[in-house]
Amino acid sequence: MGTFKQNPTQTPGIRHYPHFSHINGRHPFKEFVPEGFVDYSARRLKSGKITYFNFDLAKEMGLISKDHPHTLNSELEREIFQTFNLMIINEYDLEHKIKFSEDDLLPHKYMATRYLQLQHPDKAGRTSGDGRTIWNGTVRHQGKTWDISSCGTGATKLSPACNINKKFYQTGDPAISYGCGLAEVAEGIETLFFSEVLHQNHFQTERILAIIEHEKGLGINVRAHQNLMRPSHFFCHLKQSNYQNLKAVTDYYIHRELENKNWPLSQFKNDKEKYRSLARTIAERFAKMSAQFEDEYIFCWLDWDGDNILMDGGIIDYGSIRQFGLFHAEYRYDDVERFSTTILEQKQKARYIVQCFSQISDFLITGKKKSLSQFQKSAEVKLFDQIFEQEKNKNLLQKIGLKKQYQEELLKNQKDLVIKFRKAFTHFERAKSKRGVYKVADGINRDAIFCMRDILREMPQLYLSKNQNLNHEEFLDVIKSSYAKRADLKLTPMRKRQIDRFQRFYNQIVDHLSKKNGEPRNKILLDITMRSSVINKFDRITGDSISHIVQKVRHLRPKLSPVEMDALVKEFRNYQILDPDQKRQTSSVHERQKHIMRGLSTIVRDCREGL
Amino acid sequence: MKLVLYSGGTDRENLKVDKAFIKLINKKNPVITFIPSSSYLAEEEFRAFVTHYSKFKVSRFIHFPVDIPFDQTIFKEVLRSDVIHLAGGNTFYFLHSLRKAKVIPHLVSFVKRGGILTGLSAGAIMMTNDIRMAGYPEFDRDENVVKLKNLKSLGLLNFHFFPHYRDNPKYEKAFKLWSRKYKEVILAVPDGAGIVVEDEKVSNVGPCFLFDHGHVQVLKRDSDLDW
Repeated sequence: MGTFKQNPTQTPGIRHYPHFSHINGRHPFKEFVPEGFVDYSARRLKSGKITYFNFDLAKEMGLISKDHPHTLNSELEREIFQTFNLMIINEYDLEHKIKFSEDDLLPHKYMATRYLQLQHPDKAGRTSGDGRTIWNGTVRHQGKTWDISSCGTGATKLSPACNINKKFYQTGDPAISYGCGLAEVAEGIETLFFSEVLHQNHFQTERILAIIEHEKGLGINVRAHQNLMRPSHFFCHLKQSNYQNLKAVTDYYIHRELENKNWPLSQFKNDKEKYRSLARTIAERFAKMSAQFEDEYIFCWLDWDGDNILMDGGIIDYGSIRQFGLFHAEYRYDDVERFSTTILEQKQKARYIVQCFSQISDFLITGKKKSLSQFQKSAEVKLFDQIFEQEKNKNLLQKIGLKKQYQEELLKNQKDLVIKFRKAFTHFERAKSKRGVYKVADGINRDAIFCMRDILREMPQLYLSKNQNLNHEEFLDVIKSSYAKRADLKLTPMRKRQIDRFQRFYNQIVDHLSKKNGEPRNKILLDITMRSSVINKFDRITGDSISHIVQKVRHLRPKLSPVEMDALVKEFRNYQILDPDQKRQTSSVHERQKHIMRGLSTIVRDCREGL
Repeated sequence: MKLVLYSGGTDRENLKVDKAFIKLINKKNPVITFIPSSSYLAEEEFRAFVTHYSKFKVSRFIHFPVDIPFDQTIFKEVLRSDVIHLAGGNTFYFLHSLRKAKVIPHLVSFVKRGGILTGLSAGAIMMTNDIRMAGYPEFDRDENVVKLKNLKSLGLLNFHFFPHYRDNPKYEKAFKLWSRKYKEVILAVPDGAGIVVEDEKVSNVGPCFLFDHGHVQVLKRDSDLDW
């Protein structure tokens, strides 16, 4: 055997990055759920270069010290390479007796987990799971355990291609794209920019820890999160009515959540309470997540397999994630064989996932698997609906620009008024173009025509200045988007009534807060003005803008060092903070990166109303 | 014509200029429009601006970035404000944006109608005939990030304004040289000081260095300028 993890420090016996050595394929999931994964031997790759390393995330995870400079020294570089630059030895390699150098073989095996995926003909999760991903392991730091996985580390037998065509594929086989086991660096960059911005704005999401580039734009994208389990990890065992495995996955999952102090209870009287808490917690999390997605225009293709989402409602796999600039409620992604759900259908899918967890909980408690339909009106589904409604109201008040104290006051004492305003708001938010449904680059859409961020940003300022309501024409002038054509902007009697309702309820909210808090109306409006200018910032990212940014960064990247990439991502993340209570870090980028940032902000601006 | 030119510095340092500005408004609860030099991270600047002028009991503000598209409703309201403030930043980018948005003639008319125009650093340079001062001297200048060639700006003043002036031989030499070469007057103002223009009267608040024909004249605090 060759040498593994040689001590790379100059000082004999001292390892400056000791936590990297724990990331070696071993993972507690393997002991909890022995049938929940396929294990692969792996070999270290010799070529490749580090494109990106997330210093901030590495500090959070304890991989580097808090005061570590944002520079890659040769020792750190070596640790990253030795830990993550690897490829599995898959069934094809074994079948064809492909020889690899003994020196390159890694001592431990790496798992590809099994989970349900709708693309698989089996539909029960017997053959599906991580098709091109392996789990590198875990690290524990400051009371939190982190999962780390890598995408692009070789073709596993759990990929759709392998099961549809009933053959094993060699990693990198050009005959198939997605099933070839490799990943593109562009995917990593897309996930990086998108996830860092969303993370900064309080979304749960996987994050990119590192990107290692190989030839032809391919590479390994290393991702991290405190728990990378998805509902689909449970659903495959549920579909197969496999009580033992389902229990094992659940026990593993809850154990990790307790370990990380991410669970509402710290201990359970009995198993019944434990499994009840699973369904209840998922109901709460998924209600909050689906309301947040809807209100922030996050398009995430949720479906019955629970594949595209993490158990905490976090985003995983940015391939089909979008953030719309307007509420494009009829956009559907065209996945060749089927169309995706729409942003409005996400709620139904999230509720369906909750229903499945009611079924799981009951199955684990009683030992009998009942029909899913019996859980259509379960306590957890009802809880989901209730929390979803609460969150929708809260999110709207947040979007207006009201501080927490005002939000709480209104939700407590003026709920009817909030609901009335929400109705008026939704009327404009969901208004669609007369153009109808048409084909877009990757699917179909019917354009939304109003930009709610613009009206929420400008209205309080205009009220302050004018001391009176906007007239109908002014209101439309402010709220209209670039998608609105003349026919869409007709001032019908109905529309005039809706404009009046919108402003009436908005004013009632402001007046109530003014009276209740003994503050002048202008003071409340000014506070809203300042907060709203951040929350409803003109240039907010969209899926389209991220795609263009990836192209631009890829074009620039040969000249961008990993350290420069890190500074650029940080600056971009900073620029996209939409939380008025969050302090921005002082910009520390150099002139060249400033210039690049100007280019990126122009892209964001140009795509601000798109998909 | 009512103009206030701020050099820069802290809120505390600018108290005297602020007082002169508030006196100039002479109206209860005026509307002040804040125009940042760039919309990039301008929300923070706007917040700081509002927090500062709220101390003078102003509560009506409009945030109006010009390098992003805007609607006519808010633009109309901007031009009806009592004060328009041009913020600091990269002077070349700012002028480029103002010109691209076709805002410059409206600002000039606003001033002619009696509106108060204030400017900080780049915003103050903008009120002069051109923004050459933004690119001078070599050791203390803005980068022309937009490669702007036409440097003509609002043209409201017959002198140049140099903000953040430091009273040392290096600066003095540079401006003597410039004023001799171009035969144009420069008012160089250190942080915390400013210039107030009211109709025909130009006065400095705090110290001011007047460069003309290769000579420098140090103006005493708070004097009326005449040259």
